[in-house]
This record gives sequence, structure tokens and C-alpha cells, in this order.
Amino acid sequence: MKEGEKEIELIKKGKRLDGRGFEELRPIKIEVGVLKRADGSCYFEMGDNKVMAAVYGPREMHPRHFQDAKMAVVKYRYNMAPFSVDDRKRPGPDRRSVEISKVSREAFDPVIIKEYYPKTAIDVYVEILQSDAGTRTAGINAASVALADAGIPMKDMVSSVAVGKIGGEVVLDLSGMEDNYGEADMPVAMVARTNTITLLQMDGNFKKEEFERGLKLAMDACHKIYELQRTALIERYSKSVGEGEGEE
Amino acid sequence: MEKEKKIVVPGDFLGTSEEFTPGSGVYDEKGNIYASLTGEISINDKRVIGILPKVETPPMPEEGDVVIGRVEDIRDTVAIVSIACVKGKEKREIAASTQGIIHISNIKSGYVTELQHEFSYLDVVKAKVIDAKALRLSTEEKDLGVIKAICAKCKGDLKRKENALACERCKRVEVRKISEDYGKGVV
Repeated sequence: MKEGEKEIELIKKGKRLDGRGFEELRPIKIEVGVLKRADGSCYFEMGDNKVMAAVYGPREMHPRHFQDAKMAVVKYRYNMAPFSVDDRKRPGPDRRSVEISKVSREAFDPVIIKEYYPKTAIDVYVEILQSDAGTRTAGINAASVALADAGIPMKDMVSSVAVGKIGGEVVLDLSGMEDNYGEADMPVAMVARTNTITLLQMDGNFKKEEFERGLKLAMDACHKIYELQRTALIERYSKSVGEGEGEE
Repeated sequence: MEKEKKIVVPGDFLGTSEEFTPGSGVYDEKGNIYASLTGEISINDKRVIGILPKVETPPMPEEGDVVIGRVEDIRDTVAIVSIACVKGKEKREIAASTQGIIHISNIKSGYVTELQHEFSYLDVVKAKVIDAKALRLSTEEKDLGVIKAICAKCKGDLKRKENALACERCKRVEVRKISEDYGKGVV
């Protein structure tokens, strides 16, 4: 991606550095309802990405002049823990995390039925505990499950994954090394049922054919992630009532 | 249905609007009905399809709900109450404006000349919602009214003495619309 950096061989014998194929996702783990004090929460692992999402509300919006008389306001905070990267990250919002918060919030815009709760705020907190490329997509996946766990009415769930280009090949779900030394990175968020893309960014350059192929890869992967999100929620709530509420 | 009731998640297709009338927890899009909450499907005999949520849903004060709040302001004819929670759903903040109003005519069944004789600043009150939209509250019933109050003079706890409240520290006696549950610490 960056000029002048030393070339690193990202593809060896048709396999990627971590042994994955070009169209393979990293292993995903989803836990629902992990935080006691949050109204809805989710712990999400995608390879070496470890993300926690917590949802609070809808609750009264403060300060009052930010209230919307017709609908709830969604507040989304993407935050990286200082220990989430190799060098300590200076804590607090920065240009990058403010932007990611904005685009992620907008990724949920078409799905949350905000009109049910006027004058309120829905707080979504996404904390990146450990990062390894594609944290915004992991964050969106986590937030989607956490929102469903919080009982916030939604039209659909959002699933998200990144595609990229390394060594001239279009590959799915970049890892940290591939992101740093690859040629392009494109996070995609999508409503799996309707194939509605709600987030699409691109860093680096794709050719037209590569873009189309990458988008198709991402969309197929989003369907797979959606199934995992679904299964996680169903598993959590198909337990008997006593078990399900046990953590309270 | 099969052995165990199926759980649906937001976005799951439930049926068409020719088959069912959409109830709660579902939405209608282009004639198809989808779930908007996580839970079990319920269909009643009028073919209204809804979701029985398995997740906790945001509480909204409804008419007849008992709420707990704190008196934030006393005006000539109304007391402004900041609502903390709905009884039975204490775990979660209410998903609406928290500002409730008790009008002087809704305090008790008798005639009230002075609102100050019934409520005071920072009283914790238990009240019933009589209008969910404007959040108008009533304390007419026996178990409704002030459940915790502090002395206006020394801010000490007030203890119930028959139909009045007495301060343990400065022996001041105050009057309120007292709930049956005053000082019990139960909602």
C-alpha cells in the first residue's frame, strides 16, 4: 500500500500468511449478553480482533436540545483501547475513530426503527480490546448483535466484512500484516436479507473488475456472518427462561 | 409448531399481510411481515401475528403503570416529578421523557388547598400514570404518594407518625400525601 516500504511476500504457494485461502474468513466467535449493566451487549472475535459492544437505552437524551421530537437519536462510539495495538495508542477520540464512529452509525441508519422512541438516545459503545485489521467491521457485527440483545426494534441485522488486495490478488477479510503491506482495503457492511450495502469505504485502489469481484466476495461473506450472528442470538435465547436470565 | 418454539431474530420473514395482521414486534414491508425483535412467534385467533420478546424490551410508561420518581419542582397547581423507573421494570431506564406531572386535582380524593401540604422538594413518590403521552400522574390511591421524604429544615430522614411525618433530629413535623408503603423501602 505505501510506497518505499520493503516488499513482503504475502502469498506463499497459493496460501496467505496465516494459511487461509483467498476467500476464507478468519474464525469468528460471538457471545451475547456478556455485560450485566448494559441493556444489550456482545463480545465478538474475528481472528485476532477482540471487540466488545454495549448498548444502553433508549433513554432520555441529554442535553435536551439534541433531542429529536420525532425519533430516537443513535449515538455510536468506536473506541480503541490503549493496549489494543502494538504501540500504545493514545487514549481518547482522534480523527480516525471519530470518522469510524460516524460511518458505523450511518451503517445502522436504515435498520433501527427509531420512530418508536422519540426524544430518546440509544447509546452504542464499541470498544476494541485487541485489533488486527478490520476492527470497524468487527465492531459493526458486534453492535448489531448487541442492539438485538437490547430489544431495540430493528428491521434487519447488519453484517460486515472487509476485502482487500494483496500481491495482486483480491482476498477476503484482511489480517493486520495484509492490511499494512497490501495494496487495497475495502470494508463493507450490508443488510444480509436485502443485500443493502450500508457502509462502503476503500483505502488503496482496485481495478473495476477487482472491485466487482471484491464486493461479491464481501457480500457472500456477509451472508455467512449473518448466519453466525443469528445462531448466536438464537442459542442465547432458546435456553429455558431461568437460564437465560441467570446473569442478572 | 415443532417440539420447541422457534426463535426469530430481527429481519426474519414471518408471513404475508394477506395471511396475518401485524401486531407488536413485527413490521410490514411491501406486503411481507418481518420480525423486528428477538423472540417467539405468537399468532392469536384473529390472525394477529406478533413477537413475544425473549429479550428485555425498553420500558415505556403506559396508562395504569405505577412509576417511582422524585419531586423536582413545586408550582402552584402542579408538582414536577422526574421518573426513575416503571414498577416491575426497575432494571432499565424508561425509553421516553422522564418528566411527569402531578396536578393538584390528582393528588388525593379530597380537596387540596395548598400543594405544598402534599409534596415537597426531593420527595420520592409512587404514582400511577393516567395519561401516558403527557406523562400525567395520579396519587389518589392509598398505596400511592410519598414513600420517602426529608426534613425541610435539617434534611434529616422523616419518620411516619400516624398521618404526619416527624423529623428525628429536629422534631419538626410535616404533612404529606403519604403512601401506605412510606419508609418501608419497598416499591
